[in-house]
Amino acid sequence: MSSLLKRLRWWLQGTRKEAELREELQFHLSQEAEEQRVQGLREDEARSAAQRDLGNEARVREDVRAVWTWRPLEELTQDVRYAIRTMATHRAVSLFAAFSLALGMGANTAIYSFIDTVLLRSLPVPDAESLVVMTWRSKPVKSGEADEFVLRDISGSTYRSSDGGVEARIFPYPAVERLQESSTPFLSSVFAVFRGGRMNVLVDGQAELTYAQYVSGGFFRGLAIPPGAGRLFVEEDDRQGAEPVAVISAGYAKRRFGAIPNAVGKQVRINNASFTIVGVTPEGFEGVEPGAAKSLYVPMRSMSVVDGDGPSFTNPNYYWAEIMGRLRPGVTRAQANAALSTAFAQWVATTAASDAERANLPVLTVDDGAGGLDTLRRRYEKPLYLLQAIVGLILLMACANTANLLLARSAARQREIAVRLSIGAGRFRLIRQLLTESLVLAVVSGTAGIALAIAGTRVLTALLANGDDGLLLEASVNWTVLLVTMGLSLSCGLVFGLAPALQTTRPQLIPALKGSDGTATIGARRSRIPRLKLQQGLVVAQVALLILLLVGAGLFARTLANLQSIPLGFNPEGVLLFSINAPQAGYPEASAASYYAQLHDQFAAIPGVRAATVSHSSMPRAGRGHPIKLNGMPLQGKYRLMQTGPRFFSTMQIPLLAGREIEERDRTASVAPGVISELFARTYFAGQDPIGRRLSIGGGMPMEVEIVGVSAAAHYGPVRYDSPPVLYVSYSQVPPAALQQMTFALRTEGDPMSLVPAVRQIVQNTDSRIPVTDFKTQAGEIASTINQEIILARLCGAFALVALVIACAGLYGTLAYAVARRTREIGIRIAIGAKPGSVIWMVMRDVCVLAVLGVLTSLPIARALSAFVKSFLFEMQPNDPVAITVAVAALVVATLLASYAPARRASRIDPVTALRNE
Amino acid sequence: MARTKESRVELMRGTLDLMILRTLLPGPAHGHAIAKHIQRTTDDLLQVETGSLYPALYRLEAQGWVAAIWEKSDKGKRARFYRITPKGRKQLASEQSKWDSFVRAMATLLKPTGEEGP
Repeated sequence: MSSLLKRLRWWLQGTRKEAELREELQFHLSQEAEEQRVQGLREDEARSAAQRDLGNEARVREDVRAVWTWRPLEELTQDVRYAIRTMATHRAVSLFAAFSLALGMGANTAIYSFIDTVLLRSLPVPDAESLVVMTWRSKPVKSGEADEFVLRDISGSTYRSSDGGVEARIFPYPAVERLQESSTPFLSSVFAVFRGGRMNVLVDGQAELTYAQYVSGGFFRGLAIPPGAGRLFVEEDDRQGAEPVAVISAGYAKRRFGAIPNAVGKQVRINNASFTIVGVTPEGFEGVEPGAAKSLYVPMRSMSVVDGDGPSFTNPNYYWAEIMGRLRPGVTRAQANAALSTAFAQWVATTAASDAERANLPVLTVDDGAGGLDTLRRRYEKPLYLLQAIVGLILLMACANTANLLLARSAARQREIAVRLSIGAGRFRLIRQLLTESLVLAVVSGTAGIALAIAGTRVLTALLANGDDGLLLEASVNWTVLLVTMGLSLSCGLVFGLAPALQTTRPQLIPALKGSDGTATIGARRSRIPRLKLQQGLVVAQVALLILLLVGAGLFARTLANLQSIPLGFNPEGVLLFSINAPQAGYPEASAASYYAQLHDQFAAIPGVRAATVSHSSMPRAGRGHPIKLNGMPLQGKYRLMQTGPRFFSTMQIPLLAGREIEERDRTASVAPGVISELFARTYFAGQDPIGRRLSIGGGMPMEVEIVGVSAAAHYGPVRYDSPPVLYVSYSQVPPAALQQMTFALRTEGDPMSLVPAVRQIVQNTDSRIPVTDFKTQAGEIASTINQEIILARLCGAFALVALVIACAGLYGTLAYAVARRTREIGIRIAIGAKPGSVIWMVMRDVCVLAVLGVLTSLPIARALSAFVKSFLFEMQPNDPVAITVAVAALVVATLLASYAPARRASRIDPVTALRNE
Repeated sequence: MARTKESRVELMRGTLDLMILRTLLPGPAHGHAIAKHIQRTTDDLLQVETGSLYPALYRLEAQGWVAAIWEKSDKGKRARFYRITPKGRKQLASEQSKWDSFVRAMATLLKPTGEEGP
């Protein structure tokens, strides 16, 4: 090993080593000559005797050198040096090729990093492969019809499965206990988790909201992770009436307590209940939901302390807990699946109350759990794969483009290569030389690509995280990703290097040496045809890929434009939003309403605030439903509610069509005043005057409401969906238990965000335990709800632009090369009277044919891909004529631009010069 | 590249290495001195070919058995002096014992066998 290192060092010091060896041998010669002289020989005789003794000096040197170098390495150095020299002489071409490849690789690495983080990576726990997740599936369930399905209450999400049925990973708690009992022979542990949302953690008087997870007592033991400090939960912590204890993440411990060990034993208040932090999770562990890092873990059974009342632990028809487990060594997932699905089937049959429910019972399967729970996965899987497909296309284009440029360049070097072949260079050696050149290019671009990827990952993290407060992505370029990129760059090097290398070294020496440009001899013509075919094929492929990207960019841009042009019915400009949750922070529920009223008045008095109001949510994120009865009859359909404070409509600038809005004096009204939307009035009071009518709300928010006004349409809920009929009720009369977080809206003069410190100060003065969260402008809030569309439109637009540039350069290169090759022919044509216009047309005709072929190729592909893209579009079809027309028009313009310069050059060829060149 | 030469070097490599290491045992020497020393001590029986001496020296250096340093020779010229390293000494010892047993074995084999026969 040390010998190898020494050789490597010698090899690096090659030149100096060489000089030293020469000196050493010279010394030997002079010594020897000296000796011969002493023995009586003449000066010149002595010298030649010494020379004879040494033998062939060059060979000695060669033999010695063989000790410190070895040939392949030496040749590689030569090749690399030569490649760099060649790249330097064709600077523009090399730079462009490297740039487009770097972009392709960088984008691919960045997107792949996300896919790896969110979709592929296993949880950082020992033996993640033996983890499992429980899932159930059922036949389709008709929504809204009760007594047909055992799932009667839910906290969590169900999904539509691929066969049209329902699937979900949430279970009633009795099912968790049943599975814990019946799985013992197969699973070493079964544990449950429940999303905790954001909890208010008060440390030394400082309140902060953080993402939390409820976990059952066996959670950490099941994951088999060691504590980073202190201890993790044991079963006893998750008992009714146990000491309230919490575990926090390493990052959170560092941030809030300075260092990991400091956190252990600290008393904190979580949602105003006292907890002791008993331990810290190990560094790198961020929960079982990739991409949604959790900072706080509390036992399941402390839910009653933290949340008032959470989902029931005993109700067998209330689905909410997610279940994971770990296979015992030697047990396969199939075995566990067979046993547990039977156990679950038996149990779930006992929860059915009717024949209809018995006819469609959920069926349990044991899924692979190495990647953890996959809530985020569902949300990001499709957009990420779409982006990966897009950047994959870019990389393909970049490769095609580089191959094209190299092909053109190697054709220009045909003569050089012919000379080298004819003086005895091996074909293999030459191919290796040419491949080295493309590999050097690939490595250079790969390195630049990694730099781009690192920057790209950061930008993408920021883009994706925008407005998505559940997303805490820690995507970084990791080794897997680096290896994939390196693999990509190397295979690209081979792919785009091999074809030109094989073609140019095909031994056709005579015509090349004669300096003919290939049009004169039959042999050369034969070799030209496949090359042009390859080159033309590459251009067609580039055009086809470009059309796909352009159409995609057009579709996403139009989708975004459609979403942004939806009439909101309120003015989102110059409004500051922020949220406060007083009851969660420990403020007495009974007086929360008056506390919010007090804050409202103080905010309204801030200089620069023109109007202020409060509601339970911002408009684009609103979505609250409770059953409403009119004259004792439940209203049918999908209506929604909004708890609002005084001045809501004037602050939002929503016109009132009849009656009045909710005002300050309504705070003490005995019957809650309400305003209904125009759609609500039309749906439930058609032809009647709704003012003065009474509605009674039930469910979790029982109260009477008297309608005092009708408002114009204002968009309620995500802009992507139609606005439902809305009833706005005064929050002052809302039952205390139903009044939680409130979102304030301040219409301001100047920059809304400049008021943030004033707002914080006011809240701090009233109650320092209460954090103010989610500062945002109203416009920013709306943007965050259509974040996915914005990202897709921006990224796809940017990628399409890049692709356009790449394709233009490719076309330009191809054409410039073709014109250069045909100089003589064009010269003759001009000499015998061809007009410049017809020469231009002759050159551009070829490109037009290729462009048309490219468009024709892309259309069937676009059609095949349209089904995949459809779900990302809003109010438009994948074959949107505008998008396609714009894409084709962009292509035509780009083609014309790219081909005009070479065509014009062709038309200006001077026949005399062209022919004299022969 | 002459393949025949390669094989000749192969043939005497072990021996030449052994000779060089042994020569360096009393103290450092440059290439020419090493060649002359071997020649003289073996009464010109063994001619060291310069063509194989230098590659051998570099090989030994790569193995870490000798170390080289540029120094003034007794005539004031710069020369490359080779010195045996501790690792080289160990190598020499083991090679020497191998050589000794080889010689002993050969001697036993070639000894007239008459008296010892049954």
